[in-house]
Amino acid sequence: MKDGIANNSTASISQARKAVEQLKMEACMDRIKVSKAAADLMAYCDAHIREDPLIMPVPASENPFREKKFFCTIL
Amino acid sequence: FPKQTFSLCCKPFRCRSLPARRKYMRSPLVPEMATQEVQLNETLSHLKTESDTLKTKLEEERAKLHDVELHQVAEKVDGLGQFVMKTRRTLKGHGNKVLCMDWCKDKRRIVSSSQDGKVIVWDAFTTNKEHAVTMPCTWVMACAYAPSGCAVACGGLDNKCSVYPLSLDKNENLAAKKKSVAMHTNYLSACSFTNSDMQILTSSGDGTCALWDVESGQLLQSFHGHAADVLCLDLAPSETGNTFVSGGCDKKANVWDMRSGQCIQSFETHESDINSVRYYPSGDAFASGSDDATCRLYDLRADREVAIYSKESIIFGVSSVDFSLSGRLLFGGYNDYTINVWDVLKGTRVSILFGHENRVSTLRVSPDGTAFCSGSWDHTLRTWA
Repeated sequence: MKDGIANNSTASISQARKAVEQLKMEACMDRIKVSKAAADLMAYCDAHIREDPLIMPVPASENPFREKKFFCTIL
Repeated sequence: FPKQTFSLCCKPFRCRSLPARRKYMRSPLVPEMATQEVQLNETLSHLKTESDTLKTKLEEERAKLHDVELHQVAEKVDGLGQFVMKTRRTLKGHGNKVLCMDWCKDKRRIVSSSQDGKVIVWDAFTTNKEHAVTMPCTWVMACAYAPSGCAVACGGLDNKCSVYPLSLDKNENLAAKKKSVAMHTNYLSACSFTNSDMQILTSSGDGTCALWDVESGQLLQSFHGHAADVLCLDLAPSETGNTFVSGGCDKKANVWDMRSGQCIQSFETHESDINSVRYYPSGDAFASGSDDATCRLYDLRADREVAIYSKESIIFGVSSVDFSLSGRLLFGGYNDYTINVWDVLKGTRVSILFGHENRVSTLRVSPDGTAFCSGSWDHTLRTWA
């Protein structure tokens, strides 16, 4: 009985300790400013937007999904 | 439909939190036990206070760096033109709700899985079915294509993830070569091969994620931290290292270190289950889609949410999200049968796509970005370009 009580609460305590350790670790993280993060996201988009076939459509003949081709298999 | 009841009745086996710890007895039989109980109680409440203080401090640290909004910085960026995206192929053949799909690296093959236990491999150009296998369970909620294109992994209510090698011989019985890799104690919600055919990452209704060796079926690492079912996961683009992000019914999105099993970052701003997470192509951010009808963008280096994609008129949950190749567009599949296309930087919706006749359950952009495929409870998959 005594052990039962101890086990339940020690389990809760160890769970709470883990949560505290996790938060301490997360608090130590090096963060950058949102302005810098946003600038980097924009730079990535800008660098790759010309290669993005859904934004800069390539001619239909080069996009296999857009070209109209009829497929038949010979049975 | 009131939003809440709709989501509850159509989402089986989800949103069950892990059972709460049993409360210990209020009236101990022996005086020593009383003292011990009081001490343990004190330690517990002390830890809780410490935890709350740390959480507040964490929020303060994050807020200090919140000097501007993404959409403000993006005002100087050119707007996107008009979009003409249509259904280019409709893949018919599933007998029930399509739950999951994945592209092969060859940019033309697709694997999809459905509620009736069927897993089908399609050629998305020709719409031909190349392979079909029937799983021994229903609700196959997860499927993934191996990087080599030579195998597919799938699982669901069987609590397992199984790998089927794909044979060139169409007549061969795929089920005979099935290999059980992962074993969870609840349903499998998502799976993904890592950079090779040798390892699989899984997430489950049992609240954990796990990394497995395909050949031996051995558990290599497990990831504990979610307080409820984990519904989705995505691996970081290979250049950025060994991390992955997971989302769950506890409204949290966690970023994990695959080697140590440690949760390195956690984000809790959604108001309901997170159904889908996807990394931004650079690996510096990820998007999430939730039952709260919003998609959100979280930047990993700023350690915070940097954008919300929502509209008052959108009240149904998002089941699935993915980025276009450049990361400028975010596609979201919604439970109101539509696909909304968002300008990631400006935060505005650029297009809404109609076509499916029931909720969109899964959505992935092809590996070369030329098209994206959506699967729906209307039993079909559509490729759009």
